[in-house]
Amino acid sequence: MENHNSSKPTSPHLQIYRWNISSITSILHRLTGVMLFFSVLIIAWFIVYYTYSFGSISEKEHCECLSMLILDIVFYGAIIALTFSLYYHFCNGIRHLFWDIGKGFNLKTAKFTGYLVILLTLVLTISTIALTIYLKLF
Amino acid sequence: MKKIEIAPSTKTGFHHWLVQRVSAVALIPLIIWLVLSLVEIALDPAGYLPVFFAYPFNAFMAILLFTTSLYHGSLGMRVIIEDYVTNKVKIHFYIMLVNFISITTATAVVLAILKLHLIN
Repeated sequence: MENHNSSKPTSPHLQIYRWNISSITSILHRLTGVMLFFSVLIIAWFIVYYTYSFGSISEKEHCECLSMLILDIVFYGAIIALTFSLYYHFCNGIRHLFWDIGKGFNLKTAKFTGYLVILLTLVLTISTIALTIYLKLF
Repeated sequence: MKKIEIAPSTKTGFHHWLVQRVSAVALIPLIIWLVLSLVEIALDPAGYLPVFFAYPFNAFMAILLFTTSLYHGSLGMRVIIEDYVTNKVKIHFYIMLVNFISITTATAVVLAILKLHLIN
């Protein structure tokens, strides 16, 4: 039997390193990337479902039951996580593109832009949530 | 001394690296358009949302956004699979699965957006 398991070392062993801003921004980039990929799939198939159900998605039925409350919490949680992921991956992606053209590798600069990305993401996410509350969308 | 086995190169690494960056740059204006459109929808959901895709520019940008993001996403998922999965057969299976899901989703959503564009 041929052994298919290669002997190459596997990448990021998350548990053995001391956390710092560079490792946090790096792994967050991957996590938010995966999250966005699945979100795009869900949103795409929702549009397909909406289109071929002839635009007749009935209004959500409201009841004062626990299951609806849990569903709502999961839904809002997912929306907030998606908003955060989108802004984070966008900002940190631009940081990566600057690295690709050879800029921002200086340790001090890299740390500064790491904190800047987190700050910018939080500001954008919180203002988006504030805007939706202000417009009474949910 | 044990010789470290290195998987033979498929010579697609540079192309993969490049298209990942090109699709990332293309996504910058598309994401800005998405956020501005969502704000526009939020200001008048009942009036604007049903006819959103009737506007040619919206349908055009939405199709570009879905295809580019699914392409960029499948490239990124491939890197993650290659980094964490050690079994060579599983690596190829998962990459094919991601590509299959991405292509079918892109086809289905483009068809749906075209239909919403044409019936409105």
